[in-house]
Amino acid sequence: MNILVIGGGISGISAAKVALRGGHDVTVIECTSEPGGLMARIANCRVGFKTFFDEITDKPRLTVIRDARIAKVEKRENIFTIILEDGQSIRADRVIVAAGLSPYDPVEYKGKRVLTSLEYDAVIDQRNGDLPADFEKIGFFLCVGSRSKEYPLCSSVCCSYTLREVKWTLQRAKPEITVFYNDLRFFGQEFLMEKAYRDAGVRFVRANSRYFEEDDDGVTVRYFAGGDLKEERFNYVVLAIGLRPSPELERLSGLFGFSRDQFGFAVEKEPLKTDAEGVYVAGGSIEPMSIKDAILTGFGAAVRAVGDGGRHLSEPLEGKVYTEIPADLPDIDKSHASYLFYLGTEDPWMKMFYEYVSGRFIALARELRLLGKTVCVVSRNMVVPSYGEIEYEKARREGVVFLHLEEEDSITFLENEARIARKDRETVLAIDKVIRFDDYLRLFDGKDFLIQFRSEPQLRWSPTKWSREKYHTGFIRYPRAERWARREFYGALGEILLDVEEERVLPEVSEDRCSGCGSCKDACPHDAIEMEMREQQVALFGPNVVSGASIAHVKEGSCVGCGLCAATCPSHVISYPM
Amino acid sequence: MNEEQFKAIFELTGYRQQDFSVCLGCKICASVCTVNDLSPSVNPQDILLSLFLGHEVNSDHALVHYCTNCYRCTNACPWGIRIPEVIRALRESLALESTFERAFKGSLKIWGRVYEPYIFMKTGVFLLKEGYLKYMPKWTEYMSFHLPHGVRRLSSQGGPSDSKGRL
Repeated sequence: MNILVIGGGISGISAAKVALRGGHDVTVIECTSEPGGLMARIANCRVGFKTFFDEITDKPRLTVIRDARIAKVEKRENIFTIILEDGQSIRADRVIVAAGLSPYDPVEYKGKRVLTSLEYDAVIDQRNGDLPADFEKIGFFLCVGSRSKEYPLCSSVCCSYTLREVKWTLQRAKPEITVFYNDLRFFGQEFLMEKAYRDAGVRFVRANSRYFEEDDDGVTVRYFAGGDLKEERFNYVVLAIGLRPSPELERLSGLFGFSRDQFGFAVEKEPLKTDAEGVYVAGGSIEPMSIKDAILTGFGAAVRAVGDGGRHLSEPLEGKVYTEIPADLPDIDKSHASYLFYLGTEDPWMKMFYEYVSGRFIALARELRLLGKTVCVVSRNMVVPSYGEIEYEKARREGVVFLHLEEEDSITFLENEARIARKDRETVLAIDKVIRFDDYLRLFDGKDFLIQFRSEPQLRWSPTKWSREKYHTGFIRYPRAERWARREFYGALGEILLDVEEERVLPEVSEDRCSGCGSCKDACPHDAIEMEMREQQVALFGPNVVSGASIAHVKEGSCVGCGLCAATCPSHVISYPM
Repeated sequence: MNEEQFKAIFELTGYRQQDFSVCLGCKICASVCTVNDLSPSVNPQDILLSLFLGHEVNSDHALVHYCTNCYRCTNACPWGIRIPEVIRALRESLALESTFERAFKGSLKIWGRVYEPYIFMKTGVFLLKEGYLKYMPKWTEYMSFHLPHGVRRLSSQGGPSDSKGRL
C-alpha cells in the first residue's frame, strides 16, 4: 500500500515509522527544506528529532520530498493521485495529514527585549554562543495569542514549554525568574518540576500583563497582584505564544475535501480519521498538543490508515492493550441550593489529576447549574487544555461562577460558608455543599498510572508502554478528557508494531539456590519477574513433608535484559550467561 | 445592582448580566489601566465580577469616577470586553455624570448632533456658577503666561539660537 504523509514534523515522521514497519511504501511531503517542523525549532529537541528521524532515513521504502507543495489532487476508485507544484505526481492509497501547528506572532508587543518563546529559545540555545551580558531578571508571560476572543482554545503546551525554558535557563545561568500565569496547565509529572523550581526560587504570580515599556536596558512591566498594581523591571520578557492550526491546513482541506471546525482544526469523524474517505489526521492538525501526544497520534493515524483497508489488526496485538473505565463519584445529592467546587491541593503528586478533575468539575457544575442551582468553582489551577477550554467557556456563560485564588490567598470551609482570605479583604460565600478535589482522589487510589511510573523522556518515545506485554491507554495511562482514550488505543497498537524483538540476553536463575526473597521482583522496572511456587521436600529423613517455596522466574516476553535483577540479587543466584 | 441598572448597561453596551462571565480573571486590564496612575489599586475586573454576581458597585469606586475612556483595557483584553462603555453606563445609572455630559447626550438624542444653543441653555447656570467664576483667578494666572513680557523673558534666557531652538 502507498501511504502519503503530508508534513515532516514529529507526528508525520512517527506515522511514517509505523507505516514502514508495517511494510508499506511511504512518501513524506515536507514544505520546507528539512523535516522537523516546530519540534526542530526548539534547541533542546533538535537532536531528539534528528535521532528519531535518522532511524528511518535509510529505509528503501521511504521517500522524502522536500520543498514541495501540493497543487492538485485527484481521486479515482479510492486511489489518490497527487500532483505537486513542480509537476511530480504521486499515487497513494491513504493520506495522513500532519500539517502541524503555527505559532502566533504577537507583532503588537514584540521588541528587542520582549521576545516570543521561540525567539527566547534561540537566545538560550547553546549553539548560538554565550548568553547576553545582562541576564539577571526574566519574566515569562503565559497565554499570549490563545484563550482569547479570536482564538478561544487553550494551546495546551505553552505552560509546559515555559517550564522547560525555565529549566534550560537555569541550566546555563542563575537569573531571577518570574512566571506570570492565568492557569498552570501542566501534564503529569511536570507539577513535580514546578514544585522543584518554586523551591529553587522561581516566582510564580497569578496575574498577567500587557504593559511592556521597553527601553535600552530593560523592560518595565506593570501587573496587578495581591490587590495592588506593581511595577517591575525585567531584562527580558518572554511571551509564551499560543499555537494555531497551520495555514496550510485550510488549503489541504480544500484539496482533500475534509472539513475543519470553527477554530481551523480538522474534524475527527472517527478517532484520527477525517470525514473524507482515506484521509487520516495526526498531531497538531487535530488540536494543539505536546510532542508526546503528537508521537502518539502519529503512531495511531498510521495504524488506522494501514489497518482500515479490510485487513483487521491481529488479535494478539489488541490483547496487549490494557485500559480501564474510569469510575465516578457516587451520585451527588442534588437537593442543595448552592454548591462550591474547590479545585486545589498542595501535593504535587496529586496535582497530576487536576486535568481529569477539572473536566469532571466543569461537567458537574454545568449539570447542577442547569437545575437552577448556585454553583461556584474556586480554583487554584483550572487545567482544561485545548478543547477543554471551550467547555470551560460554556460553563462560564451558563452562569457558573469561577473564582481564582492567587498564590497568597487561602480558603477555609466552615459550616454552610466558605471564606476566601485575600491580602486586603475577605470574601464570604454562603454554601450548602462543598465538593473538594480531595473527594475525587479516592477514584485514583490503588491504581498504577503509567504517567506516574515512567519518566518524562520514556513517556515521549514510548508513550503507552508499561511492559513488553502490556500497553496502557486511556484512564489508566493518564486520566484526562475522554476523546484521548480512543486515540491512545490506536497509538498503542502502533507502538506495539514498532516494538521489534531486539537482540537481548535473558538472565538465568539457578533455581536450587534461590531463596525466594523477592528483591529481584521489586527491582525489576518492567514487571518481568514473577515468583513461582515450587514444591520442595522439607526433611531428608523422617516423614515425607512437602511444602511450597517461591522461586524467581523470568518472563521472557516482558524482560528487556537490563540486568537490574542480577545486580540486586543478594545471593548472586541470577546471572547472565557469559 | 437592580434590574434597571442592568437595563441601562444593556442599552448602552449590549452586554447582559451573564455576558460579564466571559472574563478570565487575568488582570491584564488592570495592568494597562491609566487610572492606576492615580490610585494604584484599581482593577476593572472587580467591577466585571461584581456586575456578574449582581453585587452593588459603589459610586465612590475610583474607576467609576476617573475612567478616561482610553480603551487601553479593551485593546489589551483577550476577550475585548468594552470596559469603558460599561463604566459609562454605570456612571449614567448612578447619576454621576457631569452637567456637560448630560447636556451633550440630550442634544444628541434630540437632534442627532451637538446643538450649541441647547447645550448653552442646559449648562449656562452651571458654567457661570461653578465653571468660569469659580476658576477665574486661576485662569487669569494661566493666561498671564502668554503675556508679551513673559514671552520675552523666556526667549532671552537661552542665548543665541535659531528659530527651532538649536544652537
